Amino acid sequence: MPVPDRPVRRLYIHVPFCSHKCHYCDFYSIVDTLDRQRAFTDRLIEELTALAPWSAGGSLCSVFVGGGTPTLLRTELWGELLAAIDRLFDLSTIRAGLGEFTVECNPESATEELFQTLVAGGVDRLSVGAQSFNSRHLHTLERRHDPVNVARALTLARQCGIKRTSIDLIYAVPGQTVDDWAADLGEALSLGVGHVSCYNLTYEPNTAMTKRLGRGDFDPIDEQTEIDMHTLAVATLGGAGLRRYEVSNFARPGQESDHNLGYWRQEQWLAAGPSASAHVAGHRWKNVPRLGDYLKIDDGGFAAIIDHEPPDAPRLLRERVMTGLRLTEGIEASPILEEVRTLGDAAAALSMERLAGVYVARGLMRAGDRWALTDGGFLLADGIAAEFMALIPEST
Amino acid sequence: MTEIRNFSIIAHIDHGKSTLADRLMQATHAVSDREARQQLLDSMDLERERGITIKASAVTVHHRHDGEDFMLNFIDTPGHVDFSYEVSRSLKACEGAILVVDAAQGVEAQTVVNAYLAIEQNLEIIPVLNKIDLPTARPDEIAMEIEQVLGLPAEDCIEVSAKTGQGIDALLAAICTKFPPPRDPLTDKARALIFDAIYDDYRGVVVYVRVFDGRLKVGDKIRMMGLDRTFNVTELGKHTPKPTKVDALGAGETGYLIAAIKMLGDIRVGDTITIDADPALEPLEGYEPPHQMVFCDFYPATDTAGKGADFEELRRAMEKLRLNDSSFTYQAVHSEALGFGFRCGFLGLLHMDIIQERLEREGGVHIIQTAPTVSYEVDVRGKGGKIKTIEVHNPADLPDAGVIEAFKEPVCKVEIMTPKKHIGDLMKLCMDRRGTFKNQMYVSDTRDMLTFEIPLAEIIYDFYDKLKGITAGYGTMDYDITHYRKDNLVKIDILINGEPVHALAVIIHRDRAQQRGRHLLMRLRKQIPRHNFEIPLQAAIGGKIIARETIKGFRKDVTAKCYGGDVTRKRKLLEKQKKGKSRMKSVGSVQIPQEAFMAVLEQE
Repeated sequence: MPVPDRPVRRLYIHVPFCSHKCHYCDFYSIVDTLDRQRAFTDRLIEELTALAPWSAGGSLCSVFVGGGTPTLLRTELWGELLAAIDRLFDLSTIRAGLGEFTVECNPESATEELFQTLVAGGVDRLSVGAQSFNSRHLHTLERRHDPVNVARALTLARQCGIKRTSIDLIYAVPGQTVDDWAADLGEALSLGVGHVSCYNLTYEPNTAMTKRLGRGDFDPIDEQTEIDMHTLAVATLGGAGLRRYEVSNFARPGQESDHNLGYWRQEQWLAAGPSASAHVAGHRWKNVPRLGDYLKIDDGGFAAIIDHEPPDAPRLLRERVMTGLRLTEGIEASPILEEVRTLGDAAAALSMERLAGVYVARGLMRAGDRWALTDGGFLLADGIAAEFMALIPEST
Repeated sequence: MTEIRNFSIIAHIDHGKSTLADRLMQATHAVSDREARQQLLDSMDLERERGITIKASAVTVHHRHDGEDFMLNFIDTPGHVDFSYEVSRSLKACEGAILVVDAAQGVEAQTVVNAYLAIEQNLEIIPVLNKIDLPTARPDEIAMEIEQVLGLPAEDCIEVSAKTGQGIDALLAAICTKFPPPRDPLTDKARALIFDAIYDDYRGVVVYVRVFDGRLKVGDKIRMMGLDRTFNVTELGKHTPKPTKVDALGAGETGYLIAAIKMLGDIRVGDTITIDADPALEPLEGYEPPHQMVFCDFYPATDTAGKGADFEELRRAMEKLRLNDSSFTYQAVHSEALGFGFRCGFLGLLHMDIIQERLEREGGVHIIQTAPTVSYEVDVRGKGGKIKTIEVHNPADLPDAGVIEAFKEPVCKVEIMTPKKHIGDLMKLCMDRRGTFKNQMYVSDTRDMLTFEIPLAEIIYDFYDKLKGITAGYGTMDYDITHYRKDNLVKIDILINGEPVHALAVIIHRDRAQQRGRHLLMRLRKQIPRHNFEIPLQAAIGGKIIARETIKGFRKDVTAKCYGGDVTRKRKLLEKQKKGKSRMKSVGSVQIPQEAFMAVLEQE
């Protein structure tokens, strides 16, 4: 296991339980019929205990509990988990209001008791999976919640003292019109959230949605409508003061998800729970994805891992370009070019500069030392990033 | 005095030629019963697998008939018309030919084409009905077919079963009595015809000869009259069927000759050998060197990991194969799309398939084969209006349309043997391929033979497959290139984003140009991935656009969700996407995948 040269100050926890597997989702989750919540919580606390020393000497600046549906975890187990986090890690920055502790929440599972427990444990941000306010589109996605519960959950959260709230929306759902989407965006703004994530529906391999598409059960939204919806989100949310700071993420100034920015700025984070991905001292790895394996295998408290990638300067650089270009702030060019030159490839650095020049008219802007995508460029972010990445020499 | 008989066995594939040869040798005690089970004359794996004899070779056996001693020289022939030059040169060494017809299958297209070759050479023909032991054999009907189609009297057919040995004695008797002896020598100067040559890893080139006049002896300094080169004979021999050395080969005999000849290129099949010190005045009548009619490119295949197979490896494999088969040609080419490779010329389609298989099997290289084209003759107006004929088998080599006086293509006589009920569909197929109906001949109550003239370019793609499909496998065909014919042929240029792409150009008849152009563009539109910008595709003849398509620009290419912390997965996706592109060819700013270059070569 890698040893970080400085304390890791971010932590991601994956809670794999769901009441139902939504048809578009490819995150690891299970419908828990055996009640393994107790076993999971115990194992998770063990894992956190093993991980905690890597954070020693630094207080956590962000914690994010995602899933699955973290709010399906029983309140008493939440209490135990939060107490363990508080015991094992330094939460002083978060408790002082200078950090961020987010929990993902299903609108149906919001209860006062749960929220009070969360707040007591330091949680200060709630991300609610609204997806849509239109029952028909929710049905297409196989989301089984009543849209009115989103507002109820948010109100309850605020009443319990959770200061920051966010909702997730999905657009380009089969059958959805631009007007439907405009209605969803209006509804979202009326809820007073400081942060909105708008995801274009993606047909991930091995999901029920993709199988249905393959069978011809429905027609996907055409490209032009997707572009219109994307553009509408940028305009509507921007007009309401929620600025885009990443391809799919919008926030009022200061309400950006600090934890997610950490991912995209290539910072370090610890990860616990099945299938969670970590990034520490240049290493990347993933915990075993299956709950059964996660519970069974205990590597001195640590989880068994898969897909370990040891530090590799060119790889890290490619990742920096890839995630960096997805941010409105873009990437800082000169340190990246300097590193490419250090890798012994001055020609590659030159090619990257030239490529940036080529893209200036086609979606990239250069502001001082920063290279960042324009609104038009964001629509083509994958292809542009791939071209820059391809110029970074492979390690020898 | 020993009587000599030189003869070949000609047959349609699978009609049992090799089995019959074995049985004849067994009957003359040249091989043991056990050896007879192997098909001796065919030595290559590939031949055995495909049931085709590719290289001719000669075997000598002895037989007593009516108290007289006969030396029988079997000269084996390939069974397909792609090798008709090999058939004809083998026949040149013979006085007779055994025409084998399967008594259940009947006369096939190849039987006819091969029989015509023998008739042209004035050979005596013994028709043989083979496989009469089969329950489905219809010897009487098939004998009538032979009479109908080839004009050989039905009662002359000898019924045999190469499998059981039935009728073999009668056949041997006919060989001794019906086939004429070799002609008398015309001169006492030595003259021997080279009718085949093979390359042997240990002994160099082994030359098969038929001596017509005089004698060849071990130690002779011989002269190749055509190439005007001399060699010293180190070994003479005959295959009995085991190689057996002899001191000399006399007039009328066939055998092999070894003379420290290093490469097949050092000799020419059809050349006449004489004695350097006492040369003949005139060479024997030779035969036309083979002419390559079908061309395609071979490129080393690139695997999915993007690792390029080795061009040098392919070159070595080509060189090695060329030692064994001097009838295919190759020259290095560079394609915009596929990199470095070779443009190869073949005698026909089967020849092309066999060369490809042998390169892959014996050379261990993986090959991308482009679609075949034919060899065109183009009359070009040169300086002072002088007309010069050039050969073109690559659209990119075609001169400017302005200087082309005449554009000629090879035309074949195609013989098709078919059940009568499929005639209508076959007529339509041939007409669709610019065929001209020439003749329809009654073969039997159920089958007819159709003769068409069809441009070679129209049959090199999938004509044979289509014919097999239409006739449920019962139809057979063979073709022989007869002449070049002027036609209204044009080159279609394909422009991608305004730039012509040479590797995509095709030569086609003007009447079909529009349809073909449209088809090409539709294929390309499917194969070329969308880009960040719109890509116009155009087909043009000269400067005139005859078809167009558009690949719409990519306007959205972004993953919505960066998978939480799972950066690895996203990175790998983008890297893969880019790797895919590295296997593409850039034309201007457009990336074209290799597959696009292949796909457009397919027929509609």
